[in-house]
Amino acid sequence: MRYRASIGTIACTAAALCMPAATQAFDDAMYPELTGQWTRATVPGAVGQPPFDPAKPPGRGQRAPLTPEYQAKFERTLADRAASGLGDVVSTSCLAPGMPMMMQAYEPMQITVLPETTYILIDHIHESHRRIFTDGREWPKIVQPTFTGYSIGKWIDEDRDGRYDVLEAETRYFKGPRFFDSSGIPLHEDGESIIRERIYLDKADRNLLHDEITVTDHALTRPWTVMKNYRRTLDPLAEWPEYICNEQIPFIHIGNETYKVSQDGYLMPTRNQQPPPDLRYFNKPKK
Amino acid sequence: MQYRSSIGTIALAASLGVTVTFGGALAFDESRYPDWKGAWRRVAVPGVVGQPSYDPTKSGGRAQEAPLTPEYQAIFEANLKDQAQGGQGTDPTYTCLSPGMPRVMTTFAPFEIVVTPQMTNFLIQHIHDSRRIFTDGRDWPKKIVPTFVGYSIGQWIDTDGDGRYDVLEIETRGLKGPRSYDPAGLPLHSDNQSIFRERVYSDKADPDVLYDEITTIDNALTRPWTVTKKYSRVRIKQPEWGEEVCAEGNGDVEIGKEGYFLSGDGHLMPTKKDQARPDLRYFKQIQN
Repeated sequence: MRYRASIGTIACTAAALCMPAATQAFDDAMYPELTGQWTRATVPGAVGQPPFDPAKPPGRGQRAPLTPEYQAKFERTLADRAASGLGDVVSTSCLAPGMPMMMQAYEPMQITVLPETTYILIDHIHESHRRIFTDGREWPKIVQPTFTGYSIGKWIDEDRDGRYDVLEAETRYFKGPRFFDSSGIPLHEDGESIIRERIYLDKADRNLLHDEITVTDHALTRPWTVMKNYRRTLDPLAEWPEYICNEQIPFIHIGNETYKVSQDGYLMPTRNQQPPPDLRYFNKPKK
Repeated sequence: MQYRSSIGTIALAASLGVTVTFGGALAFDESRYPDWKGAWRRVAVPGVVGQPSYDPTKSGGRAQEAPLTPEYQAIFEANLKDQAQGGQGTDPTYTCLSPGMPRVMTTFAPFEIVVTPQMTNFLIQHIHDSRRIFTDGRDWPKKIVPTFVGYSIGQWIDTDGDGRYDVLEIETRGLKGPRSYDPAGLPLHSDNQSIFRERVYSDKADPDVLYDEITTIDNALTRPWTVTKKYSRVRIKQPEWGEEVCAEGNGDVEIGKEGYFLSGDGHLMPTKKDQARPDLRYFKQIQN
């Protein structure tokens, strides 16, 4: 895997720009004002589920730089979807979307900045607590892989006006399965993705936030960079919805089969000629 | 329902000691707030065994001596009977529904408290347990979309007048269900009119000990029920924050109103003796 340079190892090389460790009093005037509620910026003309690259159509239209092996995997997902109407495991289960898909912000996003950590909270499928550690730490020797990954960040004062304007984050140590978006573009199952981000407010519009995301992954032939945009909800009392996945997704996975639970409470097939589940552990019905 | 006095209506009257800056944000003087940083975990009470119960000083089940109305005591008893037979009774979390309030404050996993002037977040990575406590002086909204964790408005109090807040008072309403207090299935009323009042504060002698005094007012109770939860701070500079994804490895499934279990070899299993097979009427051929 290339591109292994670590934010952790370079975090304090630019001494003037680095935050010392946790004991420093918090001067929030040093940080961009990211409070409030952020929602995904809509792209004019875009239809359907939001793709990973919001500037391009979903599915094959993303032109993801997949390796031949993972392009074939993606094509199988598309074919399976066309046949059954179902998508990948993320679409039919309540597994966490993880990084980078969670940054689609299917539901409103909260960003809380404290000196040691920036929190990105998104309640969609999984109640994601993304912590970007900005306390100058190194990468730990052992990290338990997660869908969200382990993120280390660094605040940058690019224009040297005494106030940070960019949060650079690097995220590693993943588990899977993970996908770029709901069309099923896959990340490599080795979980070795490295995701670099630059998060910053638009200079002309302080209610517009950008997240430039670069994914380096063994399923890709080259790093893939996209720009996500988010709009601040101007209502200070905006509602924060609670997304309980099991209330939303009526699917059950039994063995290798996916079934649906009908509204009237019965198990249903999800494709033609699907066999019913094997009920070998139940008593035989009395005739 | 009694006890309807609102934190929201008095919140603006209390001085928060904050300054409104551009964009509506509040300048943050951390020294005015208690230091609740780090990872907190539930303190086990010696002698109390089994799954963590709602009142941590008593064992679970009937030993909680919950002041239930006769109707809800009967529901609770039926639940215990079902659980004894292998069912889930009135514990709704087995299919990954949020435990909701007040059960989330049992904190089945280490949790973090993130304090800012506008909001305090309780980040509890369990099933779906995290909370937002609004401390921006807002009043109760005219309309609240009900949630399992409810809508919480808080107010910081400087009880000893030393210039630093020491108690976070919270009131929570706008609940949905089903909810139970604990894994034993101790039920809250299905009308979801619960009101929770909390006082969260540090131990004066030990800042690594935190208390949450929770009073529940619920139509399934004959009187308000107050318990005190106790938490201790994990003395690790960089605590590991686990990621619990309930759907991952959860073997419990629900079809209609029946709970089943998925065996290790990928088959549906009964959870109770002589449990009926699921009805497969929507399948063309039933092979077994």
